[in-house]
Amino acid sequence: MIIKGRAISPGYAEGEAITYGEAFSFLGGVDGKTGKFNVRDGTIDGKVFLFPNGKGSTVGSYVVYDLKVQGHCPAALVNKSAETIVTTGAVISSVPMVDNVDVSLVRDGDLVAVDGSKGYIELKNVKQVDIVSSLLLCDGKFLMLHRPEKSHTYPGKWSLVSGHVEAGESPEEAARREIMEETQISVGYPAATAPVFMVRYADTIYVVHSYMYRVSTTDVKLNNENTDCMWISPEEFDADESVDGVDRVLEFLKSEF
Amino acid sequence: MYLTKDEQAILDGEKGAGAQKAMELVTALGKIYGADSLVDITSAHLSGASYKTIGEGGLKYLSDMVAGGAQVSVPSTLNPVGMDRERWKEMHISPEFAEKQIQIIDLYGKMGIKKTCSCTPYIGENVPKLGDHIAWAESSALSFANSYLGARTNREGGPGALAAAILGKTANYGLHLDENRKPTVVIDVEDMGDSVFDYSLLGQAVGMKMGKGVPYFRGIKPTVEDAKTLCAAMAAAGSVALWHAEGATPEASNFDISGLEHITIGKKEREEAYAKLNTVDDIQLIALGCPHLTPKEMHDIANLLKGKEKKRRDVEIWFCTSESVRSQCPEDVAIMEKFGPVLADTCMVVAPIEGTFQRTATNSAKAGNYLPTLCSQKVKFAELSDLMKVVE
Repeated sequence: MIIKGRAISPGYAEGEAITYGEAFSFLGGVDGKTGKFNVRDGTIDGKVFLFPNGKGSTVGSYVVYDLKVQGHCPAALVNKSAETIVTTGAVISSVPMVDNVDVSLVRDGDLVAVDGSKGYIELKNVKQVDIVSSLLLCDGKFLMLHRPEKSHTYPGKWSLVSGHVEAGESPEEAARREIMEETQISVGYPAATAPVFMVRYADTIYVVHSYMYRVSTTDVKLNNENTDCMWISPEEFDADESVDGVDRVLEFLKSEF
Repeated sequence: MYLTKDEQAILDGEKGAGAQKAMELVTALGKIYGADSLVDITSAHLSGASYKTIGEGGLKYLSDMVAGGAQVSVPSTLNPVGMDRERWKEMHISPEFAEKQIQIIDLYGKMGIKKTCSCTPYIGENVPKLGDHIAWAESSALSFANSYLGARTNREGGPGALAAAILGKTANYGLHLDENRKPTVVIDVEDMGDSVFDYSLLGQAVGMKMGKGVPYFRGIKPTVEDAKTLCAAMAAAGSVALWHAEGATPEASNFDISGLEHITIGKKEREEAYAKLNTVDDIQLIALGCPHLTPKEMHDIANLLKGKEKKRRDVEIWFCTSESVRSQCPEDVAIMEKFGPVLADTCMVVAPIEGTFQRTATNSAKAGNYLPTLCSQKVKFAELSDLMKVVE
């Protein structure tokens, strides 16, 4: 799967991903002679290193150069948001770098290609699946469906009205079809559309297209894809019992309630 | 970002690998800060000069730049290095450190950078004019150039400033643009004394209070020495890179300050700033000259010391200035040398003093901030006349 970002330091490289979830300082964060991390296990050597942003001493730029000289440099760097220290280190050390990437989608061990000239990364072991996720709203309550315990993804969790976008179908068409299949409720045009976002599950990144429909009935006829349903208010929502991303849809659409 | 044909040609490598690398860095930094184009600069001032701070990685980077034929294209000066070039033994520096440090100075020299190494290049060596676009590293010097001289620079890092010096251009964003030079807060200064130490405390208090932003001072008329001290303190306690002072700095009258938030800094705030930095009483080293002593400060110190003798033989005193100032003040230097070495082109923060000392005294808020973190020192923070009580 390709994730678009912004070109920061030119060049192309591939490597195994190693991630760090917080702002990172090269000075102190990694041993400049060996490439071993001080703040987590593992090494930066030859890896594609992904972290939200740099921080700390400007000496960090020279630490990247030192790693290059010692032969323990990362293959490439990927940030959510580039700043001066890491950018400088990457450019002077000729390490490809891309930013504007949601690095939380990447897992340790993913095979990542980084194109620092064109500004994208490719997750070679990860496939992209476009899905729709629709929020049906009636009298301030919205519909959640319960997934079977034997479901391949998120077994036993609650979700919005969701499903894959089929070939040749627009996301909005898919949303309408899924709502009909899973609830037997007929909808027209969406009342609101949330920005597209991505969630990671195993080796798949779901690209989520979400819509809100106002409906006048709470009469739901389930098909075999779900085992139960409920209409709840946003206050009753429990993220732990739900599939990933429902909280984000609610956040996007909360002004519509 | 818009690049001219010539700039694009440099980025494409048509003017050699060294210039290409420099252009890659300047454009990458411009991109992350939203620059629309590059702007011509009239001078550069580089940090990353002490072997203590840049280490082997920095040394190798500089030698690779030199091997690639890098040359600066605008007048460029360098920050203080880790030792006085001749008198490093008096600073308890190892021969291994000295050798690496000399290599670094020579490498900068080979790229055409002036080999005087000071954090006050604006005292004679490199003096930008009102409205000049420049690429300066060294937080105190760039704040002085922005604020007291009205030149325009962002907070450049060492390699970024070097890349800009090679190209004679930097990315046009931040403080290069009129709209970002506007004051963001008014600082009403009350009960201000007239010693430089008061400016250290004022800068520390403002830096702690606002972090970043563009303060507009009312109630101060800083001299060069005051401004130097204020810049250093605000850049160390916060990250202030530009300030204005009503009736005292060149751009202050350009702005309408109505509607801005006001902060009052009086005695109480300055006392809080003092308490934060002063952590020890008994000391081993008194280090003066952060930022580097000006000719006036050299003269004032010499007058204070004239006819006296050093009481405490166990306390060392260092006077830090630039080579050019030291050579301008031979009579003052002769008096000061009876008390301790007048060291050129280095200072207590970038020298590896942690091998020799654990407790150091300073009258500089900047040194007060960095001595604990960069040099593992406990700090006595006090007025010059207080510190000089070790002499009688």
